[in-house]
Amino acid sequence: MTPMSSNLSWGNVGAHVAPLKNAAGAAIVAIGLVAALVGSLGASPVTAVRALVNGSVGSSPSLGQTVMITSVLALTGLASAVPFTARMLNVGAEGQLYAGAIAAIAVGLSPVADLPEPLPIVLLVLAGMVAGALWAALPGLLRAYLGANEVIASLMLTFVAVLLVDYATKSIWPSGLAQNTRPLPDQALLPELSSSTNITLGAPLAAVAVLCIWLVMKRGSLGFQIRATGLGVEAARMNGTPIARVWVLSFALGGAAAGLGGVVLVAGIHGTLIANGAAGLGFLGIAVALVARLNPAWIVPSALLFASLRVGGSALQVEAGISAATGELLVGVLVISLLAAGTLKISHQEAAA
Amino acid sequence: MSVSQLVFATGIGLMVPLLWAALGETITELSGTINVGVEGVMVLAAFATGYVYQHDGGAVAALLAAIAVGIACGAFLSFLYVRRRADQIVSGILFTAAASALALVLAQQDTTPTTIKSIPRLSVPLLSDIPWIGDVAFNQNALAYAALAAVPCTHYLMQHTWFGLHARAAGERPLVDEVAGVSVRGIRYFALTLGCTLVAVGGGTLVLSTAGTFESGIVNGRGFIALAVVVLARWTPHKAILGALLFGLSQALQFQARGIWGLSALPSDVLLMIPFVLAIFALVAGRHSRYPTAVGEPYRPRAEVGPNSQ
Repeated sequence: MTPMSSNLSWGNVGAHVAPLKNAAGAAIVAIGLVAALVGSLGASPVTAVRALVNGSVGSSPSLGQTVMITSVLALTGLASAVPFTARMLNVGAEGQLYAGAIAAIAVGLSPVADLPEPLPIVLLVLAGMVAGALWAALPGLLRAYLGANEVIASLMLTFVAVLLVDYATKSIWPSGLAQNTRPLPDQALLPELSSSTNITLGAPLAAVAVLCIWLVMKRGSLGFQIRATGLGVEAARMNGTPIARVWVLSFALGGAAAGLGGVVLVAGIHGTLIANGAAGLGFLGIAVALVARLNPAWIVPSALLFASLRVGGSALQVEAGISAATGELLVGVLVISLLAAGTLKISHQEAAA
Repeated sequence: MSVSQLVFATGIGLMVPLLWAALGETITELSGTINVGVEGVMVLAAFATGYVYQHDGGAVAALLAAIAVGIACGAFLSFLYVRRRADQIVSGILFTAAASALALVLAQQDTTPTTIKSIPRLSVPLLSDIPWIGDVAFNQNALAYAALAAVPCTHYLMQHTWFGLHARAAGERPLVDEVAGVSVRGIRYFALTLGCTLVAVGGGTLVLSTAGTFESGIVNGRGFIALAVVVLARWTPHKAILGALLFGLSQALQFQARGIWGLSALPSDVLLMIPFVLAIFALVAGRHSRYPTAVGEPYRPRAEVGPNSQ
């Protein structure tokens, strides 16, 4: 990337310090804004911060929860990062996650679960990834071959997926409780790795997925084509890149990651399919991808940041008496401030200017 | 009323918020900015409207609250999209997420008991006596008539005024504006703020024509559907009526399905999916419609770029 070469001369050092100053300023503004809001709601910002920290890493169950949510967020982050690199704005990771979740519950509650030991889980994971990839390929196909706007199409499919989950919990696999399906049988659950933290196989699975996508993007020919398409469609086309196919595949690759996120959520965290169980984890993936600068290598730390805010946010209600949505508000304000500061960009041309 | 009359009467009611939002977004997009944060503006406006209306502010004050929210959102998004040149689609989505969270935080804070009330329906003299159509179209609330009146106003503003001409230039060839001595950014600030104000009126309508209270999920994707309506209507205000009506009717089906043969057997979730699936078809149907050339591209004035670039 360009910063490496320009670092060679001292004259350019200032140009790299300025964005960092901007980023720090943006973060301070964002935290100040939310602190002011928390204060005006009658809670002490200090209590709120303590609740955030305690709630995310303060005890082993909450630490485990943070690890598991980090896994899901890393996967939905990839679901945005890969298509974004091709300049395909996939904003429907939430729907793709649900597609994977529905496939996982369908396999887990079917006779497949009675097969010998590793098979149910292998099939469950594969089904989730395929479902996510197909759900994501739809807006990609609509864009590549029918010229429909992929942003709106992927959003609309998210609303459809949310309603499908609602239908699945109420009518296909009802449990008697309003909000969730029958629980998965034990042999269809991702095995627990540590009982004190409830960390399951989902976390290493997510790590492997991040590694695979990092390899594809940095070393694979598909990754090269995705990056080339993102840098300039016309130049890539001249060079013989099959643009339409690259668009669809970038969507499908991202969708497979989101689908795996759905599997982790259903078979590795909840043990059942819950209506609105993702509650924004897919949309949060956009923030994860942006802060990681679309680079798979930075996805995990970025996901960890947002997962702690998210998990800690749920402690706000109990400890500071303010809505758990404050955590999400902080995330939104923080990322918007970084966008306004020019720290986060998805367009390469703009970054060079 | 017969079932078909009920579907159309409900559909026209549901059309109104979409129409307000689509008109606002049409103005915004024609001037070269795409605001994916429509949903977020509607959520905040709906909250403000519900808050004022429930605290005995009256319908007019409630609507003014929505307008104030629209102007504030427009000013903020202008800063973000136009001045700071942030990626419009990504920041629009994140704005929606933050706005929804903010509305939720504020709504949970307000624990006063709510009363269900909506603004009165007004029947138009003479016209409401027309046999079938009278009950359906001419017995709506004031905001519905105002939305229809806003259509020719938007058309006139965009096609026959100084502002409209330069706004469309800012959306197609921003340099033309600059050469003519008109600030592209200034035009876009104004268009985005006006657009957000109309969108906010749509969010207010949603509250005032239903239960008169804000609840989370009240907007439920309508802001995003409005984006599809704009594409389907090809940035033309009068076609936006048809587009919004189509989606209003598709949303009305879920309320009247019991009386319609063939629909009564479908699960409610499938009925709720209809508008979203329809929006995807609308995008495909509108695939030959072209977004304004410069839409989504932040403009840098020549003075700022310098003489030697490009």
